[in-house]
Amino acid sequence: MKKSLVISGSGGQGVMSAGIMIAQTAVDADKYATFLPEYGPEQRGGSAKCTVVVNDSEIISPLMAKCDTLIVMNEQAYAKFGKTLKSGGVMIANTSRITSEITRDDVTVVRVPADDLAVELGNIKCANIILIGALIGAEAGIITEEAMLASLDKKFASKKAEVLALNHAALAKGVAYGKEAIHK
Amino acid sequence: MAKQLVKGNEAIAEAAVRAGCRFFAGYPITPQNEIPEYLSWRLPEVGGVFVQGESEVASVNMVYGAAASGCRAMTSSSGPGISLKSEGISYLAGTQLPAVIVNISRGGPGLGSIQPAQQDYLQATKAMGHGGFHVMVFAPATLQEAVDLTYDAWEYAERDRNPVLILMDGCLGSIMEQVEFPPMKEPDRKGTHAWDLNLKEGEKRNGRLLTPYFPEALLEIKNKSHKMMIEKWQRNDVKVEEFMVDDAEYVVVAYGISARVAKEAILRLREEGENVGMIRPITLSPFPKQSFRNLNYDQVKGIIDVELAIPAQMHDDIALEVLGRAPIYEYCRSGGLLFDDEGIYAAVKKIIDGGAK
Repeated sequence: MKKSLVISGSGGQGVMSAGIMIAQTAVDADKYATFLPEYGPEQRGGSAKCTVVVNDSEIISPLMAKCDTLIVMNEQAYAKFGKTLKSGGVMIANTSRITSEITRDDVTVVRVPADDLAVELGNIKCANIILIGALIGAEAGIITEEAMLASLDKKFASKKAEVLALNHAALAKGVAYGKEAIHK
Repeated sequence: MAKQLVKGNEAIAEAAVRAGCRFFAGYPITPQNEIPEYLSWRLPEVGGVFVQGESEVASVNMVYGAAASGCRAMTSSSGPGISLKSEGISYLAGTQLPAVIVNISRGGPGLGSIQPAQQDYLQATKAMGHGGFHVMVFAPATLQEAVDLTYDAWEYAERDRNPVLILMDGCLGSIMEQVEFPPMKEPDRKGTHAWDLNLKEGEKRNGRLLTPYFPEALLEIKNKSHKMMIEKWQRNDVKVEEFMVDDAEYVVVAYGISARVAKEAILRLREEGENVGMIRPITLSPFPKQSFRNLNYDQVKGIIDVELAIPAQMHDDIALEVLGRAPIYEYCRSGGLLFDDEGIYAAVKKIIDGGAK
């Protein structure tokens, strides 16, 4: 089934690397995927957005008006893309950087203080992995936890063992938040 | 070979290497920077040469020199840089040298924006430089098509002794999707090409090297043969996708990323019982004229030109074939703003319902 995901935040938060990892994970699981980045000329701090589409067959259009799943990593991203999530969709919100109340009641909202959790785990850079974990835990149906774990193993194979362990912990943390949100 | 997830610009760069391209010179500009970045390490791996020139003008002239020495050569840029290269492209055409030029297009005119657009259609198809020459223009819509067209580009360029342009929007340049790369090609480099200055001892040149300057009578003969070549393209080399046009009452015309988004909208309209189809030019030059001549104008109620360009640039090419037999509508965006499925759906729906002018 065709599923679309938009990830948005600001440059430096790991928006693009999260999107590429999800697309690559889907491809490794024999699915079709497209990844479309959109950003301004800034290297850090500007608005960053990517769209990932995953499907069982070839993807016709990588662009769409509305998405099935949304990860918003800061206030501006929520303000800009909060309304582009389809009714019945899943929103993963980084509440460490979103202060306004999330008002949509026609979607599943997973509130994850990802930046705070990442700092607690030891590195703010794994906030995006926590959010991917939440996406999996909330059963958004894009990638599985096993496939994502395998991707992390591959991606961090050349790094120190602590880096991989950190990312595993981050993923597990996020999955727990996702599960809790849909089972409460 | 297994399919790999790659970025559009890198897909073109790798396909060029596999096609036998061994020289690249370019100057950075968004949204095509991954082409030179990739080739900067990839070309030396296969014994090729990568140069970041001091300017676009210098780069295209290095390609000019490499082509004259029989090497498969390429340069890439985006709108503003392509304008700077247009003098060199005209010289390539003038001296009848094969080369591949890639334009990953962005908003215009002027510096425009770094965001994707299709604002260079007219420049690409009508006047890629001064002096009234034409180049073949390939406009892929998927990364697999970008790979395949780049892989074949030198075959056309060398057959015709004329540059070939690959025109792809910045959206497809930056997107990642799966592609399968063809095997490494070993082009015939025996130094026997008519234009090859790089002859080894004992080799004879198979033909005459053309100079950039011609006496009057000779220039006219050369221009005439160029004209014949363009006519031949129209007969033999048109590439087009006709999607659900047989029973179509409304025919969308779109290329590149626009065609992909339009196709999604067409499928939705079909589900609702609307007879909508699409003509997608893959070669913008030669333009798929026959596809428009083949339409049944007793059945077709409207043609809808969908482009990321304002004013629309493909409109005139369509109008020359439709010849007033059906109204031509436009749905266009520009400036780096992209289409989405709902936008095209709504625009076509409005035309069908009679609400659009």
